[in-house]
Amino acid sequence: MSESTEALRDLALEDEPGHVIVGVGEIACAFEPDVLITQALGSCVGVALWDPRVHVGGLAHVMLPTALGSDQSGRRHRFADIAVPALVERMVDLGAGRRRIVAKLAGGASMFRGESGTDTIGDRNVAAVRDQLERAGVPVSAADTGGSHARTIELSPGTGILLIRSYTFGMHEI
Amino acid sequence: MKFDALTEMQADALRETGSIGAGHAATALSQLVGHPVSIDVPTLEVLGVGEVPDLFGGPEVLVVGVHVRLLGDIGGSMLFMAERSSALALVDMMHARPVGTARAFSADEEALVSHVASILISAYLAAVGRLADVSLLPARASSTLDMAGAIMDAVTADAAMRADVALLLKTRFYGADTSVDSYLFFLPDPAGLGVLLGRLGVA
Repeated sequence: MSESTEALRDLALEDEPGHVIVGVGEIACAFEPDVLITQALGSCVGVALWDPRVHVGGLAHVMLPTALGSDQSGRRHRFADIAVPALVERMVDLGAGRRRIVAKLAGGASMFRGESGTDTIGDRNVAAVRDQLERAGVPVSAADTGGSHARTIELSPGTGILLIRSYTFGMHEI
Repeated sequence: MKFDALTEMQADALRETGSIGAGHAATALSQLVGHPVSIDVPTLEVLGVGEVPDLFGGPEVLVVGVHVRLLGDIGGSMLFMAERSSALALVDMMHARPVGTARAFSADEEALVSHVASILISAYLAAVGRLADVSLLPARASSTLDMAGAIMDAVTADAAMRADVALLLKTRFYGADTSVDSYLFFLPDPAGLGVLLGRLGVA
């Protein structure tokens, strides 16, 4: 699938004007006044990119750390090592300055408390996303990761504010 | 090993196993709570793990999830899910009191639902193990009340490394005058599913 068809597919998921819904394993970009939303992040990580000059935002809903050793059929943007570089490139294509882009992260929870040892997929996702951002030279300006609660996030490309909603903690901004 | 769908015979064998497991779980629950509880498995569906998160009304719907990792001959996960209202009704059913009595889903309610789910999962695994002559050991159950999409994603992300198919057993509990619907997902790793179907003699 070419990058442009995929962009169209992502945009087709808008369910109401101005709301761009980013599904699991998808990436999308938007300009103000549109808002980028991804729902119900559990162990998944929401990666929000923002250029403060051009006011373009990008959002990825990453499910797994790496495509290496995984079944790569389906949505390839569910992997951190594919989604993060692709999202940075799409931001740049839309006029963002590679050195101006900043990132905010949310998610990476361990949804089930008390699972011994093996329930670290959230931590591994966060680590993989941070690693990919570092490779791309994108600093992380804020993050709300870990814990054991689900999060829905909204990025406003005008301000770069990331709104985080959860049943556990209500609403807050980073 | 990849499955797009099970054959009719395979589905029948797994549905039958589900019914046997449900029957044993109902007996165990009836003993536990001291009044009759019955359970049946009206449908069995096969889904790609990627389709699982779409099953509930929306990703933010509040549900109870009980997750059990599988050990033994067949690796993978089992996940019990019920909408919050169904979980509360299940609590009332176990206490033999009118549905609507339990209003808050606090630690006691979560512990009871987790207990019920664990019994159901253990009975199901025992039935599968007996029929297929495999050892299936449930690890300790862990539970949460949160967004359906996040629970599904956490389990499927965890399983995505290994499992590519999920078996959904819709499970219905019957008390004296009410019924409660819940969902039981069996996410065997691909090798394990092959072994299981082979042992059931229907591969």
